[in-house]
Amino acid sequence: MKAASELAREFGAIVGDAHVREPIGHEARAATIVAEPGDADEVAEIVRKCEADAIALAALGSASTLAQMRSTPVAVGVSLARMNRVIAYEADDMTVIAEAGLTLGALNDLAATHGQRLPLDPPHPDRVTLGALVAASHSGPIRLSEGTARDLLIGVRFAGHDARLIHGGGRVVKNVAGYDLMKVMTGSFGTIGIITETTFKVRPIPERYTIAATAFRDADVAFAAATRLHDAVPLIHLEVVSAAVASALGYGEQPGVIAGFGGNGQEVAHLIAQVGAILGAGCEVIADGEAIAAYGRLRDFDPPDAALCAQIAVAPAELASCLRDCRVEYRAHAGSGVAQIFVSNAASAEDVRQTVARWREIAHRGRGHLRVTRIGEEFRAGVSIFDEPPPAAFALMRRLKTAFDPRGIFNPGCFVGGL
Amino acid sequence: MEIGASVLDFATVEDASQIQVDASPRGAGMHADSAVEGNRGSTVADGDGARDGSGEEPNGSAQPQGGRVDAGLIEKLREMLGDDGMVMRATELKVYECDGWTLEKSSPEILLRPRNTAEVSAILKLLHRRGIAFVPRGAGTGLSGGCLPLSAPVMICTSRMNHILEVDYASRRVEVESGVVNLHVTNAVKARGMIYAPDPSSQVACTIGGNVAENSGGPHTLKYGVTTNHVLGVELVLPDGEIAELGGEAEECCGYDLVGAVVGSEGTTGIVTRATLKLTRAPEGYRTMLAIFDDVDNATRAVSAIIAAGIIPAAIEMMDQMIIRAVEAAFHAGLPEDAGAVLIIEIDGIAAGLDEHARIVTELVRGAGAKEVRLARNEAERLILWKARKRAFGAVGRLAPNYATQDGVVPRTRLPDILRAIIGISSRHNVRIGNVFHAGDGNIHPIVLYDERDADETNRAIEAGRDILKACVEMGGSLSGEHGIGVEKMAEMPLIFSPEDLAVMTELRRVFDPDQRANPNKVIPVPGSCVEVTTPRRQVAL
Repeated sequence: MKAASELAREFGAIVGDAHVREPIGHEARAATIVAEPGDADEVAEIVRKCEADAIALAALGSASTLAQMRSTPVAVGVSLARMNRVIAYEADDMTVIAEAGLTLGALNDLAATHGQRLPLDPPHPDRVTLGALVAASHSGPIRLSEGTARDLLIGVRFAGHDARLIHGGGRVVKNVAGYDLMKVMTGSFGTIGIITETTFKVRPIPERYTIAATAFRDADVAFAAATRLHDAVPLIHLEVVSAAVASALGYGEQPGVIAGFGGNGQEVAHLIAQVGAILGAGCEVIADGEAIAAYGRLRDFDPPDAALCAQIAVAPAELASCLRDCRVEYRAHAGSGVAQIFVSNAASAEDVRQTVARWREIAHRGRGHLRVTRIGEEFRAGVSIFDEPPPAAFALMRRLKTAFDPRGIFNPGCFVGGL
Repeated sequence: MEIGASVLDFATVEDASQIQVDASPRGAGMHADSAVEGNRGSTVADGDGARDGSGEEPNGSAQPQGGRVDAGLIEKLREMLGDDGMVMRATELKVYECDGWTLEKSSPEILLRPRNTAEVSAILKLLHRRGIAFVPRGAGTGLSGGCLPLSAPVMICTSRMNHILEVDYASRRVEVESGVVNLHVTNAVKARGMIYAPDPSSQVACTIGGNVAENSGGPHTLKYGVTTNHVLGVELVLPDGEIAELGGEAEECCGYDLVGAVVGSEGTTGIVTRATLKLTRAPEGYRTMLAIFDDVDNATRAVSAIIAAGIIPAAIEMMDQMIIRAVEAAFHAGLPEDAGAVLIIEIDGIAAGLDEHARIVTELVRGAGAKEVRLARNEAERLILWKARKRAFGAVGRLAPNYATQDGVVPRTRLPDILRAIIGISSRHNVRIGNVFHAGDGNIHPIVLYDERDADETNRAIEAGRDILKACVEMGGSLSGEHGIGVEKMAEMPLIFSPEDLAVMTELRRVFDPDQRANPNKVIPVPGSCVEVTTPRRQVAL
């Protein structure tokens, strides 16, 4: 492999010497050098160079996902920090086209001036680029009502094999022309190209927003209450949190249900009564500014000092029992069948390996799967970050990877099955 | 041998000329390598099946594109499916010569009706060994020629795979066979307060498999999304007969989102035999309004006003005067025949908030020039409005012997512009065009009327349709909101996609179907030959 200085010189010739730098912080786990192209053509030239010289590259975003995925850094990390322009915000059409280096936080600051938002809410939106949002399919509590990146992405541009700049979809909210490249890119973790531009549907911010939260003596009772709520009223989000998470969020020391709902004045008044009746006497209701602040804490929740974190996704009705069997702390998107789970202490690499294997088995029983989202470097060996797709599906995935990345340069070796 | 002979007799002059027209550019086009693979596939089975009875006949030098159905193959299929599992008579095959896109017609040589996944897999393995192309078919309600057989002698219909397999209310999932009719899913779960949200106008007939292939929409997709937002998993039989389980009951993908790639692939990735769908909680209540306008311009401005106000109704549908009158003549739904246009606006959700939303919408549409806003007073009145809307296409049959429906999309704010453009196109080509469409999504459905016995008018209808699509693209829109590209809009694909985009899409398709035997000659045009291919084919078909 080429030395960092040599890589810096070669890629500096494409993006300008001032735009090649050393990795900062956990970027170092993801890439040897970082190149910051200024436009899609420069991204394509980077791809061309990497294909010609068999150099591995990966789009970085904030590098937090990549640093967890990769056991060895790629040679060239591509940061789109300079590609952060809004190409077109069409408030009346409720669509936005923006470069992939723009952060979700910055986009939503702009959207808020129109009473709108891109309703995807991973933790710390100021650190999540639109490219990463799509590539890693990040989501959060409001996926229950608004869906995930695959539901909101209506157009995409990416630099792919042969330095081709490809686009799929368009800027209209309903479009079936051509194969759905948006779906192929969403959740591809940078393994088939570098996303340079994204077009999303945006949605109106609800007129009123309210949170109702209740603590329960145990998780089963909390999940049962959540199910009754989900069946009775339309909610914006429905989170069930374990005792430790409830405590960290300031909801007391017991498992809790944190339900968000909104609408116009009449709707909210009606919902408060209905939700209150279901959650019972201990139900605490906060509204508007106070609720928005509480929602921010909920969205940004990041288990402090966790040794091992994972995302489990199962059939929604199985989530409660899966979490009970996993014996973990969690923040669960009840209704979506998805939860972030974690343990604070890990004794040894073997302990971690066995824990992940046990969680996977439980996820499979729940007709789903598990992805490790945070793992200490010392525990990485022998732990697969991604679950294994069934053989026939995986055969197709391998063909897809080969078709889109025949030289094997895009974030190689760390996706499902080592793709 | 009699059977084989009679099948070959079905190859009409029309079919033969299509084969020629399609074959020439393909071999010379960018997928020259696929032609090589196709040949390799077709010569795997060697030996004279007619003599040894194996059915593995050589394809010979005169092998037509798409392969040949011979007596040996027919015998094997008959053993598997029985006589009632296949259709070979020319008169019966006429039923399958087109879908809702009637400008082009071509019968398959044989229609197969498998009962389950195993049979689909066995059929596709047989076809794979012989290099024979096939077309999947649901109910044939498509509107872009998606199941028109073009150099594909075998049609595989999912109509006998029509079982709802499992409903999981707690997880809000339902697993169905692909031949299940769309509306039957909702009918099966509505007693428990659930619906299957995508509701194409053809929902009383169209199948889930067809919906998956076309990524179908419907009026209520404005709020609830299209098919791809509601499909979590599929069982896909690949063109080589292998069975792949993609996705499942969990919301997150494990690896690439292949379900997302298959939905909307228009039958070019294989045959979907099962699907796992999301169920949606039925809304607590509705307010359904009929807003009446003097002209189309004001109606479209009202749509923009509603969207711009940040209100997302469940549906906003528009009908212009021509359609209103046709619907009234057919169904007597009480629509005002003197109106220039009407909007059907439906708000749904929590009962407590509906009146307030309805009040705001009413104010907005009055502000945009509505001369009257009627509120459906009960469920019966609401259903009459929806019946009028969903059966509008049927009513158009009263206006002309034939019609072609377009499916372009524009950014919602450009609706007034596209409708003005359509009026211009109508007068320039001297064809009548009616409009009934999903206004809230910017998804237009201009209905171009013509008489197929009048060749000149037919050509003018085709040209008018093309001009409308070009106008959509010029306004930042797309060729199709929900009907699919099929054969209808293939020639226009280069208007919105570069050769590189189309090449990558072809690479994606070939991940599933390396020989391109699943519904060949659809979606992606062969570069440099689109017009040459489509025009004569259309002439042949007329």
